[in-house]
Amino acid sequence: MLFTIITVLSALGLFAGLTFHRFWTTREEAKSTILYAEIFKKYLAWLALRTIQSSRQASPKAWWNYLKALPLWRLPDLEKWLFIGLYGSFAYLAASGFFFAIFVPRGLFGYPLVGHVMAGGLFAACLAVIVIFKGRNFISVPKPVNLSLAVLDPRKMGITAARVRFAAFWLFVAAGFLLTLSALLPMLPLLRTPGQKFLFEFHRYSALASVLAAMIFVGLKAFDAARP
Amino acid sequence: MSRAGRLALGALGIALAAVFALVASSAASAAAQEAKRTIWDGNRTTPAHLIPLRDENDEPIIPTETDPLPYSARFTCGPCHDYGTIRSGWHFGAMTAEKSGRPGEPWLQVDAKTGTILPLSYRKWAGSYDPKAVRLTAWDFTLLFGRHMPGSGPAEPPDEEVLAHPEARWNVSGKAEANCLACHNKSGRQDHSEWAKQVLRENLRWAATAAGGVGEVGGMASRLKETWDIIDGPNLDDHEWAVVPSVKYRTADFDSKHRYFFDLNYQPSDDRCLACHSVSPKDEAQWSADADVHSTAGLKCADCHRNDLGHAIVRGYEGEAAETGNRTAESFTCRGCHLGENAAGEKSVIPGRLGAPAPKHTGIPLVHFKRLSCTVCHSGPKPKEGFTRVRTSKANRLGIYGVATWSTDMPQVIEPVYAKDAGHKISPHRLVWPAFWAKRTGKEVTPLQPAVVEAAAGDILKPEERIAQVLIALTQVMADDEMPVVVSGKFVFAPNVDGGVDAADRPGAKADGPVFWGIRKGGDVLPLVPDFDPAAADKDPAVETRFQEFLQALGTVAGAPGRPVIVVKKTLYRLVDGSLDMSEVSAELAEAAGPGWLVEGRFLPLASDFDLRTVTAKAGTEQTLTEEQVALVLGALAKPAEDTEFIYISGGRMFRLDKDGKLEAGELAAAEPVTWPLAHNVRPAQQSLGWNGCTDCHSGGSNFFFTKLKGEGPLLTKAVEKRSASSFMGLGGLFQRFFGLSFIVRPVFKVVLAVCAVVAGSLVFLAGLLALGRLAGFLEKR
Repeated sequence: MLFTIITVLSALGLFAGLTFHRFWTTREEAKSTILYAEIFKKYLAWLALRTIQSSRQASPKAWWNYLKALPLWRLPDLEKWLFIGLYGSFAYLAASGFFFAIFVPRGLFGYPLVGHVMAGGLFAACLAVIVIFKGRNFISVPKPVNLSLAVLDPRKMGITAARVRFAAFWLFVAAGFLLTLSALLPMLPLLRTPGQKFLFEFHRYSALASVLAAMIFVGLKAFDAARP
Repeated sequence: MSRAGRLALGALGIALAAVFALVASSAASAAAQEAKRTIWDGNRTTPAHLIPLRDENDEPIIPTETDPLPYSARFTCGPCHDYGTIRSGWHFGAMTAEKSGRPGEPWLQVDAKTGTILPLSYRKWAGSYDPKAVRLTAWDFTLLFGRHMPGSGPAEPPDEEVLAHPEARWNVSGKAEANCLACHNKSGRQDHSEWAKQVLRENLRWAATAAGGVGEVGGMASRLKETWDIIDGPNLDDHEWAVVPSVKYRTADFDSKHRYFFDLNYQPSDDRCLACHSVSPKDEAQWSADADVHSTAGLKCADCHRNDLGHAIVRGYEGEAAETGNRTAESFTCRGCHLGENAAGEKSVIPGRLGAPAPKHTGIPLVHFKRLSCTVCHSGPKPKEGFTRVRTSKANRLGIYGVATWSTDMPQVIEPVYAKDAGHKISPHRLVWPAFWAKRTGKEVTPLQPAVVEAAAGDILKPEERIAQVLIALTQVMADDEMPVVVSGKFVFAPNVDGGVDAADRPGAKADGPVFWGIRKGGDVLPLVPDFDPAAADKDPAVETRFQEFLQALGTVAGAPGRPVIVVKKTLYRLVDGSLDMSEVSAELAEAAGPGWLVEGRFLPLASDFDLRTVTAKAGTEQTLTEEQVALVLGALAKPAEDTEFIYISGGRMFRLDKDGKLEAGELAAAEPVTWPLAHNVRPAQQSLGWNGCTDCHSGGSNFFFTKLKGEGPLLTKAVEKRSASSFMGLGGLFQRFFGLSFIVRPVFKVVLAVCAVVAGSLVFLAGLLALGRLAGFLEKR
């Protein structure tokens, strides 16, 4: 139950954060006032409007066109299939894992569980290959810092959307590593029941972290792509 | 008010106060007495039980008196241990219990002749029938199952039950009170066989005295007239047959004050429990059978299966505490003792009671603890091809010894069948396929008692009996080394002491070989009627002498259809006025040959084709009925009540007659097997499932999931229910096979995951180091 609450709250929070980021960076009315309540009202109005607009535009055909337009399809074959493997397996893992964790008291079982295990293997393999060959593209570290109180000022930390995206990538990789580890260790004759229980919970929260990281990454990436 | 009135009122007040004080003092005294009985003073020893014996009239027993009565537990033990409280306990209270508890082993009414295996229980357990619903009175129930009951319960019915069934013989037999000694007697004289014997002799009130070794009991209440009463005393007219039961006490165990020394245990010893609760693999040798791991570690049954004076014995299953309100029961489940957890998995009790070790369960995924009971991996025999057939004390009448062999192979009890229990956890069960005749009205099935079926069936169920009668008659004229037999197909049938026939293989014989009556001498079977020419001048005269003996012997067969004759090459031998008579056979008997019966000028063989066909078909099997017999009996049952449907259930199928009078098999809920969870024997950890890895259960062909169970029953038929082990668990066999096969590639999968984890982890670590190095200025940006 606790996991469900944390999952729902963190997903909603992250969604709110990403949409607010978009609102803040793209809408002029966001900066037309310094009153938080006013900003919040305008944000809600914008969000409602965008939701209505998006729902009107959404259709299977529109989704299909969106998918077809993804740059993924234009990648070289090997790279393309690697990403398809990663995205596909991750989508299934997240869907099956969270659906059963939240809605099915018994948890994941039967064929979906077997699929989850198989998809887990594919995900781990794709992730390892991608992080070897593509990880370098996500290394952007700040300049050396000097010891002063300025390091505590968020405005001077150099937090940009690109850097957050990079951090999200590495958070995703780290969560993927922990997911792999927490799937592997229970299969080995190492842990007793308390250890198994701990790793079971650890696996769930690692999955939540990876999904949140993926949301940040995709949210920011999609926003960047949509920007004129 | 007048002075007299005031005086009267005062006197009344004083009298009332006196009465009140007396009542209050009595109540206080009773409460103190009650408290004395139920509250332990803290002493851990068992007091010496040198106590006066009292009979059922609450009179003291003087062992040296003439014809003393048997001791009564109610009045001998009752003064210190409240009898009424004890009677409400698990072993005695089935008839009146409000809650049934987790299903246990039902009583199985077994009758080989009618092919009956009927599960019965006064508790409302699925698959078991209420004895009252199948017209079994407490009296019937006691005679059927009293052999493995500790007295009381149905054996000590309330007066209403006694009055409602005057045909029962309670006034002759007395009631079998709760037999305290059955469990608490430490003496090696406690004799379960004697108890069973006394129950079957209807010596119910004497049974505890005899079985406990307190005294020697002679006589049989079953032979007394129904009008006899205990106050009538000995039967002076009959010292041989209808002898009144009497007790001869062991005077050596009495002191000069006529007090008897009971050698008792506070906690019953395991032997006492196992007298009624033994379960052993059918074909295992005693020396190779292992005990429960708890027993081997030095624990007694009663260490876990405890009770207070109420004898509500802790059965030890999860959920019992919530069901009974006895929170102590939580400590005595597997999880309670070993993990300190209750049924909900909460750490509610202190683990390690009785030195229970904490299990490691290293590498066992959590789902196993959610979906399986502890006993799946740890109890009963390990799953094997075709399951393990066991014999239980109650079902197979174990532990009763004497000249005759008491134990039976039927019914077939199978274990471990993994099925979901009331808590929706998979747990190992014992299983029995019910078999019985029944009246069916819509969905309602009412089993028939064997006696009812036998009465309707007439001779249909007696082919063995009829053949045995002929063979037993012939034994009268056989030499010591000779045994009359009948040869049919691949079998040789000889009479046995139970009035039936035993079949022995006849090596090299064909199934369609000729049927003949013969004499077994050593290893050879010679024909009863040798091949010779009766008209020959040089014939052996001894042959005809033997013919005369045979015919004389056959003449003693009760209920024979006609006069015995022997036909040899158109010569008819028969007895006329006690002498052997030879004559030429008539044209009607031209085809006759061998021994037979002459009935109104017709020749009938000694045994009918039906009898021989039936006996031969069942030879070498455990089955006691053929399809032909079932069809005939169903027809016979339907005769007097043509609008009622009668069925027979066996091997998981229901059999009935179709419109053409042919036997057809179908499915019916009442034919479903009866199961009950098992908990013992618990195996050592190294023998538990999973010790050797996941493939103990998860493989493409594991016995745990895929062994097949075939419905077994008294009917010889191919129409039996067949199920895989996984079907009892409510799991898909296909999925489990697929899942099991996945374990072939699992080692590779683990290596792949490990490599991926190392790669991803290393790179995350390196990226972290890089960022840290940059932040610290150790690394220059390229």
